[in-house]
Amino acid sequence: MQHNNMFNYKNYRYFKWAVMVILVAFAAYLLFEPAVGHYGGSWLGYGLGTISALMVFWMAWYGVRKRRYRSSGNTQGWLSAHIYLGTALTVLVTLHTGFRFGLNIHTFAYGMLLIVVVSGFFGNYAYMIYPRLMTENMGEDSLDGLLLRIAETDKLARQIALVMPDDINFTVDRACRETYIGTRLLEQLRGYQEDCPTEKAVKKLTVMGNDLSPEQRKLYRELYSIMVRRQTLVKRVRQELMYRSRLGIWLYFHVPFAIALITAMLVHIIAVFLYW
Amino acid sequence: MNCLLIRISLNKRGLPVRSYRTLNAEELTIGRGAECNIHLLDPRIAMHHAVIKRLDDGQTHLVAINGELQVDGLMVSEVALTDGQQAMIGPYLLKVEPAPPDVNISVSLELSHRLPDDFQDLKARTHEPLQGSSSVKRKIALGLFAFITLIFLALPLAQNLSSRLHTIMEELPMGFDRVWSPGHISNAHLHFGSQCFNCHEKLTQQVTDAACLTCHQDTAPHIANAALQKQVFNQKHRFSEGIRCAECHREHKAPVSLTRQDNAKCVECHGNIKAVNAKTDLSNVHDFDKDHPPFKLTFITENQQVERISQTEKERLIEQSGLIFPHSQHVGKVQGPNGMADVRDLTCTNCHHPKGKEMRFSPPTFERDCKTCHRKELKLGSAEKAIYAPHGSVQQVVSAMQTEAPKQAATYLETLKTEGCAYCHEVLETQKEDALPWQIKPLTINHDWFSKAHFNHAKHRTQQCQACHDVETSETSEDVAMPDKAVCLKCHSGNKPKYKRIASTCMSCHEFHDAHATQEALLKK
Repeated sequence: MQHNNMFNYKNYRYFKWAVMVILVAFAAYLLFEPAVGHYGGSWLGYGLGTISALMVFWMAWYGVRKRRYRSSGNTQGWLSAHIYLGTALTVLVTLHTGFRFGLNIHTFAYGMLLIVVVSGFFGNYAYMIYPRLMTENMGEDSLDGLLLRIAETDKLARQIALVMPDDINFTVDRACRETYIGTRLLEQLRGYQEDCPTEKAVKKLTVMGNDLSPEQRKLYRELYSIMVRRQTLVKRVRQELMYRSRLGIWLYFHVPFAIALITAMLVHIIAVFLYW
Repeated sequence: MNCLLIRISLNKRGLPVRSYRTLNAEELTIGRGAECNIHLLDPRIAMHHAVIKRLDDGQTHLVAINGELQVDGLMVSEVALTDGQQAMIGPYLLKVEPAPPDVNISVSLELSHRLPDDFQDLKARTHEPLQGSSSVKRKIALGLFAFITLIFLALPLAQNLSSRLHTIMEELPMGFDRVWSPGHISNAHLHFGSQCFNCHEKLTQQVTDAACLTCHQDTAPHIANAALQKQVFNQKHRFSEGIRCAECHREHKAPVSLTRQDNAKCVECHGNIKAVNAKTDLSNVHDFDKDHPPFKLTFITENQQVERISQTEKERLIEQSGLIFPHSQHVGKVQGPNGMADVRDLTCTNCHHPKGKEMRFSPPTFERDCKTCHRKELKLGSAEKAIYAPHGSVQQVVSAMQTEAPKQAATYLETLKTEGCAYCHEVLETQKEDALPWQIKPLTINHDWFSKAHFNHAKHRTQQCQACHDVETSETSEDVAMPDKAVCLKCHSGNKPKYKRIASTCMSCHEFHDAHATQEALLKK
């Protein structure tokens, strides 16, 4: 059991704050309903909008702050607040919309916020789950170490395959030369190669060795176990790359869309006062 | 067949070394297998890859068995080995060399594509995830920033600032600034609403009344007195210049009604009406249930003036219609015209006929509503020679009497004056020199008792007439059977609903733009 992580920081201080903010916002929403129904331009709407806008800037400041080495409070505390208050902010903004959506800058800005928040949730999940899985997967190995071991199995497998019939030799050769490990982003995220030659080779080898001479058969069994080892190693490397890419991918959304959110939010505020 | 085989390999310094060997066989097999004449140990070579043999044409050929042959980059199944011919056997380059005299053919073999280093090769096929992520993120962020600023700010602004662009966009179904619309436009304004400039005439300026009045120029003001209307509605009001149309008519809120239905705006003035106009005789009102003043009934006086009298002043609530009519004798079981046995059950709708969607009532007429029972009032003379006076103007009656019964005309007319017409109408004496012997007082039928409010009978159809109109005990036509506030409050409450009482706001009964309900309009009805 981990002590004092970003979720239970200072005995759930920011969780409690977030719950309080949400409850106050909900109470206000239920109590002060304008005659035409809730909308962003009512006094409550302006209030919720102003608080939310300030919170967005404060959330974004976390991104700036964590890249600085001058200390202004505990980073873990900041992250804890960033997560909990960011969630509360989403509720506030949803109430600010009054559940009125349309094809306009206002709903667009809301969409940006949702992308930022949802990607943030995914990041949270990734950092909760993947580091442990990565340690389990890699043990004490490094990525290059695993690749070296794969190269070694390749050499052994090729040597044995040289004296095997053509089909076996080619299957092994293809497996060694055509196995790619996470070429494209999508494959990295999914953690496997479609029609992986290594996997196919292992599958094929189970039925290929039927008409071999007894002395060849001994070598063949060795070749098979080498290929199975290769398959496991390849799988581990792919897993490693999958975890790494999943740990990083959410920031592709979280950071640029946060910039987009701030832009859209400012335009939203300007637009409201240009035509009012 | 004698064959000179030249194997070319690289020595430690990377220089080519040629080793010679003469092979003597009918066919020269090439392959990975140990039994092949030319044994090439490479995983890319098949066990029995190819064979060099003399074909029927007498020439020596290289023929593929299980492996692949390539000549000038093209796959072939066989190739004639003439002088200088080159062919690829897997990774090996085979070249036909000039043959010395004692051999049939001389070929050289060189490994031209070495097996790559496994580790480096594998590394090249392994891609680290999310390389150059910060530059990608920067690009995405910049792209989004540019997109948002262009579509949602620059283009709409440009349309507002450049009159040329504005003119072009005018012709299109919608402008760039459509993206600023905060919500759905109400149905009534939808046909021009997608072009913002129709209402939003200037940037940063709130929609003015002038924009509304482009179409709604005949909307009645709230107060009939123009000077007072101006004074009340154009006084400086919080931040705005005055009370704008848009304060009660909120656009971009569809499907919510365009017009505010709550009391807040009404009560802003009517909650403390003296602050708006010190001379007014209106009382303050916040809520129908709590502090609405007693109703005032609209009377039309004899000299054609409109007068509104509070229902609390009971002694003044006297209707002078010119009719003599006791309601109490016309409700329930009444005597019919055909003798004692003819008993009829009368209800309100026997005489009051609803018309239109709102179920307003047209005034009863003699022909339709009275004649069945009261024809006898116009009967003159003995039973055998009876004549009936027509129900019309006095002039018509006099003419009819003079033509139909010239001898008895004077008697009959006297009877009508004292009994027949006078049964229902007020008869006025005339001067001796007048053409007519008497006159009937003109009827003043009130069509709109609550002229400052609207009432829809159709919406109250589920109720009995007598639940609101107390006519059963009314002995004279001077009685006004209009319900008062207490009657309404049996089923209606104020701003908030109460137990078994429906919430009723100002707008439930009153119209804001009702200055048309002036005296002239009432008298015209």
